[in-house]
Amino acid sequence: MRAVNLIPSEQRSGGTVGGRSGGAVFLVLGLLGGLIVLAFLYGSSHHEVKSRRAEAATLSARAAQVQAQAAQLAPYASFMALREQRLHSITQLIGGRFDWSNVMGELSRVLPHDVSLSTMVGTIAGASEASSAKAATAAGSGTVSSATPPGAIPTVTLAGCASSQSVVAQMLVRLRLISGVSSVALQNSTKPGGGGGGSAAGSASSAASSASLGPCATDDPVFSVAVSFEPLPTAATPSIQALTSSSSPNATKGGKHTAAAVSTGGRVR
Amino acid sequence: MTGRDRIVIMAIAVLAVLAGGWMLLVSPERKQAAQAQTQIETAREQLDTAQAQAASERSAETRYASAYVSVVKLGKAVPPEEEVPSLVYELEQASNQRSIDFNSISSSGAPSGSAGATSASASAASASAFTQMPFTFVFKGSFFGLAHLLGQINGFARITSTSGTGGQASTASDASTSTPTGVNVNGRLLTIQGVSLAIEGQGSNSKRQSGSELTATITASAYVLPASQGLTGGATPSGPAGTPSAASAASAAASGSPANPAVVEAKP
Repeated sequence: MRAVNLIPSEQRSGGTVGGRSGGAVFLVLGLLGGLIVLAFLYGSSHHEVKSRRAEAATLSARAAQVQAQAAQLAPYASFMALREQRLHSITQLIGGRFDWSNVMGELSRVLPHDVSLSTMVGTIAGASEASSAKAATAAGSGTVSSATPPGAIPTVTLAGCASSQSVVAQMLVRLRLISGVSSVALQNSTKPGGGGGGSAAGSASSAASSASLGPCATDDPVFSVAVSFEPLPTAATPSIQALTSSSSPNATKGGKHTAAAVSTGGRVR
Repeated sequence: MTGRDRIVIMAIAVLAVLAGGWMLLVSPERKQAAQAQTQIETAREQLDTAQAQAASERSAETRYASAYVSVVKLGKAVPPEEEVPSLVYELEQASNQRSIDFNSISSSGAPSGSAGATSASASAASASAFTQMPFTFVFKGSFFGLAHLLGQINGFARITSTSGTGGQASTASDASTSTPTGVNVNGRLLTIQGVSLAIEGQGSNSKRQSGSELTATITASAYVLPASQGLTGGATPSGPAGTPSAASAASAAASGSPANPAVVEAKP
């Protein structure tokens, strides 16, 4: 005979997982477990907060202590900054100079034999106005304002005489051998007795040259040449390297004779 | 309400309780923990910064003696006052070495303008402007003598490729300097702006005169430290201005005590 359960299916509880409580026990257990986990997390976080705050306070106190020590030594750092800044300024001033000595030395090497100089005038174009203008803004610009500021163009004007016009031409070519020369411009080359070019300026120049002939003979061409150099650099080292570089070897021939002629006021032929 | 409904409602209630506990208790603590961690990192950064600064300043303290000597030597190139007598003496010495006649010196105008650089350092920011002193010199001598004299004048203060070269010249740079170059100071820093050479006694009677010389008129500028700043900015050999050692040194100097002898090199 087959057994049959006569209890309605929705009222059957004895055979379910929840038992008589209908699963409430699991919920209670889950709640308890969750509360325990929450309590653990809360406790650990609280402990972490306290320890971290303590560590932060310790570090802050130590930082303050070190900062106080550093503040006591601050004058030393300021003095070092003063020293570095002064060294930097002086280095920039030195690097911005033009090497006149080297130019004179190279000039003596490149001038042809039959050339005598009566005057040599070297100037740095724009030095005074540029330096004064830069001086006004030097305090805020962070750059050194030199008496020969970067960008100023050194120019040397040579006046003298040569044995012939072709020697003047040779001199113009050889003057370009001087290191750093950007252009060589002939202002005039006139034989004093030759009547000049006919212009008023040429006559005046000729007359002025005649008045200051110095070592020149009366029939020698009297010239005036302007030699321009590259603008002064901003960096210190390149200018020195550029100006101490040796000139072309074939330009040294006879140079000392020419310089000797200048130094004695005579001319070597 | 069936048993299943009751279970669902209870489960939701349990989850709500747990979520509320998380939001009200655990989450704020975790936020505070994160904030504390941020505070730690900030404090650690401050400490690192302070330690680096302190290390830099301790290094500066150890290098102070050499830096003081450097500044004093640089003061020979750019002095705190006009120092015209020493300039004349240096030029006379140099021209004598080159057999050049140092004929005249004249001031081209009142000291004016500035030639300086600004520094990031607040203490040194106002200390950088140099005052220019324009001069006109007249020398008489040979061409090569004058050329060498100009080179020697440039050599009063020149850049050296290597630091600490020693020798007769005093190098205002030490091995600890970051820049690869130093400044070799032998005298006053001069910037030559113009050179004019002419044959002395030039004229009709001077033609081919034996032994005639050139007259060189040189315009140049010397530099002076700003009036507001002394040679060393108030520093003494014992320490910079603002330190107890410097204060004691200053008071000792004021009382006439010979505790701090001068270390300034007075080489012409």
